[in-house]
Amino acid sequence: MRPENYEAKRQPPSNEFELNFGPNHPGIEGNYAFRVKVSGDIVLEGKADAGYLHRGFEKLMENRLWIQNIAITPRICVPDPVPMEVIYCLSVEDLCGQEVPARAQWLRVLQMEMSRFAAYLFYFGGLGSTNGMYTPHYWGMADRDLILDLFEELCGGRVYHIYNIPGGVRRDIPDGWLERVSSTFDYLESRLKDYDDLVFRNQVFIRRTRGIGVLNQQEALELGVTGPNLRACGLPFDVRRDDPYLVYDQLDFDLPTEDAGDNLARALVRRADLFEILRIIRQVIKALPDIDGPIRAPIPNPLAWNVPAGETYQRVESSKGELAWYVVSDGGDKPYRAHVRGPSQTHAVQVLEHLAKGARLEDIAQIMFSLDACPPEVDR
Amino acid sequence: MKNLENIPVEQRRRTNPLAHVFDEFMAFCQSRSLFMLHYCTGCGAVELPPVMTSRFDGERLGISPMVSPRQADVLLVTGYVSVKTLKRVILTYEQMPAPKYVVGICSCTVNGGMYWQSYATAKKLSDYMPVDIYIAGCMPRPEAVISGMRDLMEKIRTGKADSWKDYFRNYDHYLGQQQRLFGPKWQTPTDIIGEAEHYGLITKNTRGEHTRLLEEHQKRLEPLEMRL
Ligand code: SF4
Repeated sequence: MRPENYEAKRQPPSNEFELNFGPNHPGIEGNYAFRVKVSGDIVLEGKADAGYLHRGFEKLMENRLWIQNIAITPRICVPDPVPMEVIYCLSVEDLCGQEVPARAQWLRVLQMEMSRFAAYLFYFGGLGSTNGMYTPHYWGMADRDLILDLFEELCGGRVYHIYNIPGGVRRDIPDGWLERVSSTFDYLESRLKDYDDLVFRNQVFIRRTRGIGVLNQQEALELGVTGPNLRACGLPFDVRRDDPYLVYDQLDFDLPTEDAGDNLARALVRRADLFEILRIIRQVIKALPDIDGPIRAPIPNPLAWNVPAGETYQRVESSKGELAWYVVSDGGDKPYRAHVRGPSQTHAVQVLEHLAKGARLEDIAQIMFSLDACPPEVDR
Repeated sequence: MKNLENIPVEQRRRTNPLAHVFDEFMAFCQSRSLFMLHYCTGCGAVELPPVMTSRFDGERLGISPMVSPRQADVLLVTGYVSVKTLKRVILTYEQMPAPKYVVGICSCTVNGGMYWQSYATAKKLSDYMPVDIYIAGCMPRPEAVISGMRDLMEKIRTGKADSWKDYFRNYDHYLGQQQRLFGPKWQTPTDIIGEAEHYGLITKNTRGEHTRLLEEHQKRLEPLEMRL
């Protein structure tokens, strides 16, 4: 570094400082930056600086065949990739008016819930590390790997499993896989007690998170908060229950809520969600063997597949919140336009800027992690 | 006593008969404690936590994450680098102290991967900085990452991992590539030529037309200012 390049700007004496969080910072999820203006250790103003992961996703999709696009969809949200595949398939099926066989629908629900569980374990690890507890990170990663092993057996990929295609899923489950799913999740359920002792009943964690980053219902609705973050403000809304897709209307599950709207509430909602996920997975495992039939509706030659003209807006619930896609087809073999409305866009930019105002400097990383935003999805 | 710091490395080796034994010992030590920079550049970064945590456990090999470039040895570029990120990656790379190694994880660093037609990403990482090891895959499994790191350790131990010298020896070429992407006014505040002189690595490719262009534009950086 050349010292002459660094010269403090002459300014009237002041106690305000400007600080750059990221993009290369351990307290930042992924490749993302946040600039704050602090006075003492109180943040006066924060400004999100996204775009480090932008790869022109929506433009790339316009240059690929309908079938090729499946391969790049999971790259939008890395910790929780399955909803991206599913929603793309739902959009194409809606445009084609295709009926999906029942077995494929149940398999999709099973995958989505497994992926949600894995994403939550990732989240607890991150939230623990921002409070200085590294054990949840190590445990969460090791337990998440058990789920990734199941995925690997199902479709070959650990994180990016291009398993769903328009019309169904790629292949049927291997022999004995459902028993292994069931025993893995039994094991994971027995682990939850340890997580409670380690994190959620830990006084350090509770005191560090209670009353920080409080979002009330009115603000949450105005800012477009969705998913578990909205449920932490006391509003039980969930696309799975209120606008059911796939077979969620045949499943029985609750929506846990918390009233406080702070970091602790956001963690506890996700913690309570794990039980509901386990309930859904058990129901699917029970129902799946009785549902026979094909796993895939016939699709035309994928290399010359002209999807009828039209437009569609589909939404699903991912582990981050409400995820919606707007896809337009002009009757050709490629999408005319595909737009992603991800939940992280609001959580990582508007909500974070809103919550940063007046927060303490040491809580910024924690607020950021507790919102569970996903930077690749902001940038697309 | 002579000031050892001022003698170029090559000469030092010739005058001291024990130097190569010492160098080998140093190389062994370096290969056994790699601190990797925790900069999650792309989606491949999601496979790094499993590498470091309980299941695959990179720490038994002496690989552990480090948060600041000044204390790190290995820069992991985990995936696609958009142009905006690439500037930060280069700046980070230049800030790392000298025996430094670059590992390109993921297919996206090799040739652009599935974003080869994207307008926003840089395609080939070795155009912009020298790379020691590539680990292909989309995304590579943790076992692949660990095996790549073991290859790197072997390379360091046998003294073959010297890509960082490349950067000093061919600085003009790398700077030219960077200027092609970021425009002729691109500059980092690091004094690479001064560092190259320090290590005795100046060749005829260190200075050239691009460095001349850089010196033309080299002015004081604007005082860091935040626009809110
Ligand atoms: S190679 Fe695949 S996993 Fe790696 S950065 Fe590129 S798209 Fe992501």
